[in-house]
Amino acid sequence: MLSRRTRVLLSVLLVAALTFIILDLRGGEGPLSGIRNLGSNVLGGIERVAATVFSPITGASSWWGGMRDQAAQIQTLTTDNERMRSELDRLTNDKARVAALDGLLRVANVGQYRIVPAEVIAVGPAQDFSWTITIDAGKRDGIEQEMTVINGDGLVGRVLKTTASTATVVLIVDSTSAVGGRVAGSEEIGIVSGTGRQDALEFQMLDPLADLRNGDALVTFGSKGGRPFAPGIPIGRVSEVSGTPGQLTRVATVTPYINVSTLSVVGVVTVPPRTDPRDSVLPKSSQVNPSPTPVPLGGGTSADASASPAPSGSAKPTPSPSASPAPTNETAATVLPPKKKKKPSATPSAGPS
Amino acid sequence: MMWRQVLIIGTAVLVSVIVELTLLSRLDFPGATPDLVIVMVVAIALAMGPTQGAVAGFSAGVLIDLAPPADTLLGVNAIVYFAIGFVTGVVIDPRDRTVPIEMGIVGLSAGAATILTGALDTLMGSGRVSWEDMPGMALSSALYALILAPVAILGIEWIVRKATPEILVNRGVTVAGRENIRQ
Repeated sequence: MLSRRTRVLLSVLLVAALTFIILDLRGGEGPLSGIRNLGSNVLGGIERVAATVFSPITGASSWWGGMRDQAAQIQTLTTDNERMRSELDRLTNDKARVAALDGLLRVANVGQYRIVPAEVIAVGPAQDFSWTITIDAGKRDGIEQEMTVINGDGLVGRVLKTTASTATVVLIVDSTSAVGGRVAGSEEIGIVSGTGRQDALEFQMLDPLADLRNGDALVTFGSKGGRPFAPGIPIGRVSEVSGTPGQLTRVATVTPYINVSTLSVVGVVTVPPRTDPRDSVLPKSSQVNPSPTPVPLGGGTSADASASPAPSGSAKPTPSPSASPAPTNETAATVLPPKKKKKPSATPSAGPS
Repeated sequence: MMWRQVLIIGTAVLVSVIVELTLLSRLDFPGATPDLVIVMVVAIALAMGPTQGAVAGFSAGVLIDLAPPADTLLGVNAIVYFAIGFVTGVVIDPRDRTVPIEMGIVGLSAGAATILTGALDTLMGSGRVSWEDMPGMALSSALYALILAPVAILGIEWIVRKATPEILVNRGVTVAGRENIRQ
């Protein structure tokens, strides 16, 4: 039925596809990397142009997506506004103090990241199950592989590949992504890995005895040299803790701060802060919750701790970073009724004020 | 008029890849991303023949695997789209085709492409594919493809009829049909 020429053509294509797969499976800088670079450079350029053309449509859609949770947004903004207004008064005073301290410590810009802003121009198709995006900044803008990508809400991901004018970013929700995370306040560390779903991450605590509650905020632990992850960037909030303390592993579901489906402007951290800003970059309400209103462990209801405007008590009890196993903490532990089995030692002891 | 076919296939494939990655996937449809690329490949196969379908599928797959946000193995989409482009070109005699049947072929192809790509990725050791989400993905992909199908099929057919009428395979417009694919 098919002519000889056609059969030859079809077999050549088949062999080519198989060769591509085999060469690519080998990984590394194989003979394919040239084709890959050329291809992604050219296609990246076209995508930049196309993204500009389509920007009215994609812009309108993100506006439409935003409509859905606008009511909640208004409420948050109103409460935020009031809180900030009161904070503004204190701020002038604080600023002067900060400047003085800065001079003392010779640490300028604690928690300041130097970032290159970029816009999302393409997203991988959902049926690939990979959460990757293309941004419109590349090597020319000083972007290199394994740089941290953030936005106003928190950690977005890391740079996977770069071309001259674009870069591919793996989002933290991708199932191949793993970030070193630290519980804000209690200093406990663990690994935050993507689940492939856009609204959930998985947090695995290295210390199975440590205390972890719903509503706890996670920040990045930071990597050597700030790559791929700069320290102190907000990741998300614990929404469900599974497994009891003392089990071999302690796993929690974490809701990321970023909204994956409405990402538009992101920043690539080109120079990480000189010192770990700890959790000072976290949104204020998500720092250690000092109030004794514990959410039951593994609570199916998962009463959203974030919704309640956390008592931004001026005198915030700073929990000791080294939750030392002291039996005196038993009193603090008894505040939490549903956690009878828990070893009383590892609470981030919010000292009885 | 070989170059005309190459031009049609090349343009259709490139445009659909770019539109899918920069527009459709950013609109955040529930479930899968509307797979304009497979729709275009099948439309080409239906209008021009299995060989052209296979060539279109191969090049579309390579482009999808090369275009920036892609982090999949190069060649996986190429081989799947290549096979689908070829099979859809031969599966039903051109004279028996109607628009509803062709739409059905497009929908099935999109679902099959999603499942086959996932299966191949899993075989090659990618841990990303979540098989519990797969039925939903394949179904939504097929549904979106059904919606896109009439536009793509009629559009490609119209272009082929204008530019290279000698190879139009569809619905007995050219009785010679498949004999012509070797040109």
